[in-house]
Amino acid sequence: MRNYIIKRILSLIPLIIGITFLVFIAINFIPGDPARIMLGIEGTEVMAEQIREQLGLNQPVIIRYINWMGQVVRGDLGLSLMTRRPVMQELMMRFPVTIQITFFGVIVSLFLAIPSGVLSAINRDKLIDFIFRILSFIGISLPSFAVGVLLILFMSKTFNWNPPTGFVNIWNEPLKALTILALPVIALATRLAASISRMTRSSMLEVLKQDYIRTAKAKGLKERTVIYSHALKNSLIPVLTLIGLQIGYLLGGAVIIEEVFSLPGLGRLLLTGIHNRDYPIVMGCILVIAISFALVNVVVDISYSLIDPRIKYE
Amino acid sequence: MKLKIFLVFTLIFLLIGSVGIVEQVNAENILEVAKHMEAEGFDPHKVPAHSSIQLYMQVYEGLVSTSNEGDIVPQLAESWEIIDDTTYLFNLREGVLFHNGREMVAEDIKFSFERILDPETASIAKSNFEMVESVEIVDDYTVIFHLENAYADFFINLAHVYSAIVPREVIEEHGDLMNHMVGTGPFKLDTWNPDNYTLLVKNEDYYIDGQPAVDGIRYSIMTDESSRMAALRSGTVHMTSISPEAVQILEGTSGLDLVEYSNFDYTYLAFNVTEEPFDNPLVREAMSYAIDRELLAEIVFDGMAGVTGPVPPAQQIWAADISEFPSYQYDPNKAQELLAEAGYEDGLKFEITTSTAYDYMVDTAVILQEILQAANVEVEIKLIEWGTYIDTWVNRTHQSLIGLNGAGRTPDRALYFFFHSTGAANVWGFSDSKFDTIVEAARVEIDQENRQELYHEAQLRLVNELAPNLFLNTPSQFYAVNEVVSNFNPTPYQAEGQFKLISLE
Repeated sequence: MRNYIIKRILSLIPLIIGITFLVFIAINFIPGDPARIMLGIEGTEVMAEQIREQLGLNQPVIIRYINWMGQVVRGDLGLSLMTRRPVMQELMMRFPVTIQITFFGVIVSLFLAIPSGVLSAINRDKLIDFIFRILSFIGISLPSFAVGVLLILFMSKTFNWNPPTGFVNIWNEPLKALTILALPVIALATRLAASISRMTRSSMLEVLKQDYIRTAKAKGLKERTVIYSHALKNSLIPVLTLIGLQIGYLLGGAVIIEEVFSLPGLGRLLLTGIHNRDYPIVMGCILVIAISFALVNVVVDISYSLIDPRIKYE
Repeated sequence: MKLKIFLVFTLIFLLIGSVGIVEQVNAENILEVAKHMEAEGFDPHKVPAHSSIQLYMQVYEGLVSTSNEGDIVPQLAESWEIIDDTTYLFNLREGVLFHNGREMVAEDIKFSFERILDPETASIAKSNFEMVESVEIVDDYTVIFHLENAYADFFINLAHVYSAIVPREVIEEHGDLMNHMVGTGPFKLDTWNPDNYTLLVKNEDYYIDGQPAVDGIRYSIMTDESSRMAALRSGTVHMTSISPEAVQILEGTSGLDLVEYSNFDYTYLAFNVTEEPFDNPLVREAMSYAIDRELLAEIVFDGMAGVTGPVPPAQQIWAADISEFPSYQYDPNKAQELLAEAGYEDGLKFEITTSTAYDYMVDTAVILQEILQAANVEVEIKLIEWGTYIDTWVNRTHQSLIGLNGAGRTPDRALYFFFHSTGAANVWGFSDSKFDTIVEAARVEIDQENRQELYHEAQLRLVNELAPNLFLNTPSQFYAVNEVVSNFNPTPYQAEGQFKLISLE
């Protein structure tokens, strides 16, 4: 098991080199010049050239990529071209925000999705199944940002309430943090819960058809035991895969949710970085996103073996 | 074992989630402002982004400032003496402290202007002070500026926020001011939490008693306008600037005041005058007749915009009246006649490039496309992202371009900066020796009446004969302000500069 984990983590290295190289090339070859964007209409070519010189933008792309990689290996992600702040410092401020939204979003959606999916499956084609199916259909059809904007408008119009401004750390001011997170988490969780619930239902239906369920029932096991320890556990594999993928996407920053709720997360950092052609920022974000996506998938793979002992990693 | 690994990962996940966020200061009497974009850096000599200027206005000061009406008033300089057309003596205010506690003296003035003029700095203020020959220190509280030639806009440029006086030691320590704000202004930087909020706190040592009236300003970054409006409604923020659409939505909301003022920005349609068909002034004039500027203002800005020439009406005495521009009369038939005269009897087809970054630019393009059809002109619209747009603008790879010019406070900026053949922002490839001569003469003309006449002539020549750009609309600016805020009456010359006067009831 340990070897497996080490192997998986080592396999990240070529993956990250590949991803960062492609992104680096892309961001440098799309039109747009950071020096010019910085100067806006105030700039002359002489000034732009001066800035390019100072920022080292005159070197060939490949050389810059190699320099950047060299820095990264030494644990230095460089300085933002625009604000001249260390990229590492920016990431350390943004990533926690994204993690908190993701974490609570997933937790809330699991609380909604798993029970509703299971209930739907065991009451197939009954009223309760129809209700949950309709709800999840609505959930999956509504984009998160639309839910977000509607929530904001509803709360401010009806209760004259708006989330407090300024993101805070959940460990410092838990209550305030939770009030800030509440609406974005609900907005994210609606859609997430809907897709997980649908997946749980169909996977559960599949498992309920299996012979061993019939055997368990025939043995005279209680309905509850059959459903929760036999059926549910075995139907979780595809659900877990879906959750893993979703966490991966969310860690990449839920850009629109961050915009709508003014949350200082990774998605907005990346978006501004791309607008400004601020490649140290873009590369820093891509690095974090790629690593966390890969790590989440390692965790998902490991959890398969927790659920199903037949799955073993050597 | 497996369970343990699982738990460890979960724990790591949570721990990473917990570090790094700076705690928010809770204080009363803080002015809460919602800002739609994060500052791009704090160096007043280097970063021209409006999102950064909003902060400089509170933190930095220059030798002089402008009153609400645009008159030059003392700031760091208490008084001045005009020795002759090229020699200006300034008496500095004594006892003014930088936010790091050191006294501001004549040496700082010399240092700041030398920094602006140093090509290494690549300063955005450099073109404003090219005529400064030297800054002489007489004593700690007296400096003399020696100019190479007379320069009518010297004082108004001194009053610009880019001409901020900065402390040498902070620049020497950090290399620049991109991440540090140390000025002499009424507010100082307390916390910068990017894309989250910026907290400025009251400068207790500020040299004017009773200013600022609030203990601080918190700028919360809210990109989305509907979020800004919701925060305004619920009282979470005191004030924010808003668009004309938002004005219509918020109108009549109890507890909210909507404040309108004008500034010096205008929208334009620029032509690539170095290529066919727009190298022919007749074609450009035809386009001017073919455009209904009133209708544009009505549709694009919901009527909350005026029609402008190259010098916007906010510059008052300097702006020529638009009735003096015959081609501002919407007349599609005349346009067709002129096009025929220029050899385009069968109509004209061209491309308008603009950026998706601003709705009004896209809207202007779409409405123009519609309007121009009446003059048998077919337009294709090319929408590009902001970074690409700036590239296009700089390299002149467009056929025509819709954009926004900041004409600034002076006709010199509005005319010389954008249209003189050596103007710093003349990206149009436009050059006319007669126009050049007029604006060069106006620049060194100290007598106001003569100057006014010269600029008048320059505007007529630019619009009626050359039309390198079609000047369109000056959109009104709006702030939505909670009624607890008092003493905020923005004018073209002082808007955010009034924040030090604001009090909360």
